[in-house]
Amino acid sequence: MEKMSRVTTALGGSVLTGRTMHCHLDAPANAISVCRDAAQVVVAGRSIFKIYAIEEEQFVEKLNLRVGRKPSLNLSCADVVWHQMDENLLATAATNGVVVTWNLGRPSRNKQDQLFTEHKRTVNKVCFHPTEAHVLLSGSQDGFMKCFDLRRKDSVSTFSGQSESVRDVQFSIRDYFTFASTFENGNVQLWDIRRPDRCERMFTAHNGPVFCCDWHPEDRGWLATGGRDKMVKVWDMTTHRAKEMHCVQTIASVARVKWRPECRHHLATCSMMVDHNIYVWDVRRPFVPAAMFEEHRDVTTGIAWRHPHDPSFLLSGSKDSSLCQHLFRDASQPVERANPEGLCYGLFGDLAFAAKESLVAAESGRKPYAGDRRHPIFFKRKLDPAEPFAGLASSALSVFEMEPGGGSMGWFVDTAERYALAGRPLAELCDHNAKVARELGRNQVAQTWTMLRIIYCSPGLVPSANLNHSMGKGSACGLPLMNSFNLKDMTPGLGSETRLDRSKGDTRSDTVLLDSSATLVTNEDNEETEGSDVPADYLLGDVEGEEDELYLLDPDHTHPEEPECVLPQEAFPLRHEIVDTPPGPEHLQDKADSPHVSGSEADTISLAPMDSSFSLLSVSHALYDSRLPPDFFSVLVRDMLHFYAEQGDVQMAVSVLIVLGDRVRKDIDEQTQEHWYTSYIDLLQRFRLWNVSNEVVKLSTSRAVSCLNQASTTLHVNCSHCKRPMSSRGWVCDRCHRCASMCAVCHHVVKGLFVWCQGCSHGGHLQHIMKWLEGSSHCPAGCGHLCEYS
Amino acid sequence: MVSVINTVDTSHEDMIHDAQMDYYGTRLATCSSDRSVKIFDVRNGGQILIADLRGHEGPVWQVAWAHPMYGNILASCSYDRKVIIWKEENGTWEKTHEHSGHDSSVNSVCWAPHDYGLILACGSSDGAISLLTYTGEGQWEVKKINNAHAIGCNAVSWAPAVVPGSLIDQPSGQKPSYIKKFASGGCDNLIRLWKEEEDGQWKEEQKLEAHSDWVRDVAWAPSIGLPTSTIASCSQDGRVFIWTCDDASGNTWSPKLLHKFSDVVWHVSWSITANILAVSGGDNKVTLWKESVDGQWVCISDVNKGQGSVSASVAEGQQNEQ
Repeated sequence: MEKMSRVTTALGGSVLTGRTMHCHLDAPANAISVCRDAAQVVVAGRSIFKIYAIEEEQFVEKLNLRVGRKPSLNLSCADVVWHQMDENLLATAATNGVVVTWNLGRPSRNKQDQLFTEHKRTVNKVCFHPTEAHVLLSGSQDGFMKCFDLRRKDSVSTFSGQSESVRDVQFSIRDYFTFASTFENGNVQLWDIRRPDRCERMFTAHNGPVFCCDWHPEDRGWLATGGRDKMVKVWDMTTHRAKEMHCVQTIASVARVKWRPECRHHLATCSMMVDHNIYVWDVRRPFVPAAMFEEHRDVTTGIAWRHPHDPSFLLSGSKDSSLCQHLFRDASQPVERANPEGLCYGLFGDLAFAAKESLVAAESGRKPYAGDRRHPIFFKRKLDPAEPFAGLASSALSVFEMEPGGGSMGWFVDTAERYALAGRPLAELCDHNAKVARELGRNQVAQTWTMLRIIYCSPGLVPSANLNHSMGKGSACGLPLMNSFNLKDMTPGLGSETRLDRSKGDTRSDTVLLDSSATLVTNEDNEETEGSDVPADYLLGDVEGEEDELYLLDPDHTHPEEPECVLPQEAFPLRHEIVDTPPGPEHLQDKADSPHVSGSEADTISLAPMDSSFSLLSVSHALYDSRLPPDFFSVLVRDMLHFYAEQGDVQMAVSVLIVLGDRVRKDIDEQTQEHWYTSYIDLLQRFRLWNVSNEVVKLSTSRAVSCLNQASTTLHVNCSHCKRPMSSRGWVCDRCHRCASMCAVCHHVVKGLFVWCQGCSHGGHLQHIMKWLEGSSHCPAGCGHLCEYS
Repeated sequence: MVSVINTVDTSHEDMIHDAQMDYYGTRLATCSSDRSVKIFDVRNGGQILIADLRGHEGPVWQVAWAHPMYGNILASCSYDRKVIIWKEENGTWEKTHEHSGHDSSVNSVCWAPHDYGLILACGSSDGAISLLTYTGEGQWEVKKINNAHAIGCNAVSWAPAVVPGSLIDQPSGQKPSYIKKFASGGCDNLIRLWKEEEDGQWKEEQKLEAHSDWVRDVAWAPSIGLPTSTIASCSQDGRVFIWTCDDASGNTWSPKLLHKFSDVVWHVSWSITANILAVSGGDNKVTLWKESVDGQWVCISDVNKGQGSVSASVAEGQQNEQ
């Protein structure tokens, strides 16, 4: 009586206390069942049948029902169930087909009450009627279900499923006469207990055996079934045809399913194969378990919620011979662990961002939605407004684009495509590139190009010996070298006054360069000093026109700042400045970073030498010649390249490296250069700028880089004799030891362009084969194959 | 600074956990709790569903594109303890390999730089990191680092391919000997750096300790012209750290707090030139950070998911504790 009162208190107050705990059993458990007082649990297995009291800190063994000297097979339990009205009444299903009832009220040690030996094979499940004290139902491997009245010695009625073995039987909680049974062939049957002749309804619920089912404790007509097909399905049985409401996909076959008390959409599942964990699912969110209990080391065989109105305690028994109490709050929650956001920086600086929508909804709820067209129209899963819940989640995925300057890579592509890296005099390359950069709004870069041009293309850089040499050569036609410098380098750089004279200068240069053969020599010298790899005739033929074009374009660019005016003049004060202060690249770049500062500075500076621009040529010549060694700026340029590279603009670093060529190459260590090259080439290839990438590879001076083109080219050929793929390197076939690259037309070994037919493996010189196939459609080797050349 | 150009109707039935653009930025792969992986063509602001890959039996946490020189290959990892490698052959995507060597959810996958060949690192909740190396003819060799992170590994990220010394020193015809390294972050609040020894075994090289809760993501910055190695990490504790290593030996890493957010930070992602870091946090915002000239990290923009509009919040950057 004392025990009773304690239990009543617990029930009345509906307060259960306890913690996550487990206790070791002597043997693996097959099933567990909880007493209605929620304070005791019975564990049954092949060689265990015990009652444990659930105390706050531990399980305490109360009673061992396995008594008698010789363990009978009747005690080998497949299932156990504790009556939910009578605390003294239990029933077990034995593996030998016997259904046993137990009366704990019996005074003797052996509590066994009744024995029903009507099933032929293992009884898989026993079930008490929820409200009728004496009615017990069993389902067996032999395909029959039997209903027993405990007041009688044998079964009241037998139900034949007319199909395979019965895996589970469950009385409906709401409908007095109804029970459901599940079968190994995937069927679920609904029976009226008064009509044993045929089932009320039958439908195929799963693909493969249906191991378990459970009626919803509140929703009349909701039946959850679990099968070997790893699914849990929730059926609405009230409609004419059983309607599938939800489908949960678990990782392993579902052996047990139990609705969670007080949580309408939750159910717990466990598997008897592979997976040791117990999962609690929200059926509306069928992909991620709401909670997971990972205590067991072997498969879980029995689960039971401790109290029909308490959602937080779950009991479980396992093959690992342990009994556990799980607290819901201690469960690991994969949903919580799951990353609710996806983020990716795209190639073009765009961002792909996926976020949980419930978060989004909350967010936009706070701020009024402006209805701006730019705002994302989020993908929404159609929700039933009658059923709002927080558990379900969907995500919105949007792609964001950077606006110019904000990290978008549009400029990269433009720049890469438009930059000129070689094939023209340095000054032009610099000018061109500066123009490109300016047009793309990258003023700092444009400035840099202009400065580079000034640093490396001004007359002062020409070593005096070289000058004299040129002079000597040039004197033949009496044309001073100065003129060519003037025309080539200074014209676009000089002030507006100079520009007025430009047309005259241009025509002069044209005539000079084209008419006088001696100028060619001068020009060549220029080429040398500028370190460009192009042959002089190329320059003459090709560049001349470009040069003009470039000059002609200039007046069109009426920038308010007149960069053509500003820049060369800025160069002078800058030099003085550097002479005075230690040349810090950061210092330099700081200013460049903020265009306002540098701009205004440039403006003020530009005022001073404006007037002297007429005398610029002579003055600067003298200045450079005497004062500034060519290597003066190399440290600065090196640091600048490093700066750009660090800023992520490896494009600039490489472009400058290529354009300046030997002028800076020696100052930067090989490895860094190589790294820049490879980084840049990698980027170019990502942007699919194959041509640019190829050009960069070609122009690179680093051996490791320039061999990239060869290294990445693979040619697959078959031996023309034995027609098997050539595996080894070289042109000698492994198998027939003959040279495979013979031309089928001229019978010589092909060096250079080789073409071969993939049908017959014959091939040869591209020209020969093309010619041959113009006249004939058959293989030149005479193999009779109809080769096709496309 | 930022505006929405595209909202992708993914039709995923549950939460999306990852979205990754491919090497050329033309395709977007998403993965979701609904067990599917989807690939969209997002060129020119479009969103054409190319493939819906089904094969996982649990939520798919992460996807990763392999370098295109190996073909169109996508790896996905899932709660079902499996890693699936998908490949496009003649326009159709199919499962080419399934790796089920983990005892728990696989949380992260990352392809090694293409220079190393096809190598995939997978971090799992069982605490192990496995490395799958393609050995040709459909065969994958598995190496496993057990107990890499107690309780679990949440993220893996490869270091960019860097060659010790110059390529030029290499005997011709021989593959350069790269030092393979990657970083992992886990439930032990640590970031660990792993290095392949000469015998092919993986060894822990460094342990980076600064976070006070689970590390959710690590991202090794692409080394585009950078002389230093940089790693960004974010954690459940709301903090984002930038780790840099200047010395050649690669042993001295110093953390710098980028920002302390009020909520979990789930992701960090570098722009391809490694000068901007995107951070996404539990407050459902993406913020973009850039290192200023004086070495401070400044928030240059934040993207509010709910609105898609953007406010430049330099103020937020100034709160930066450092």
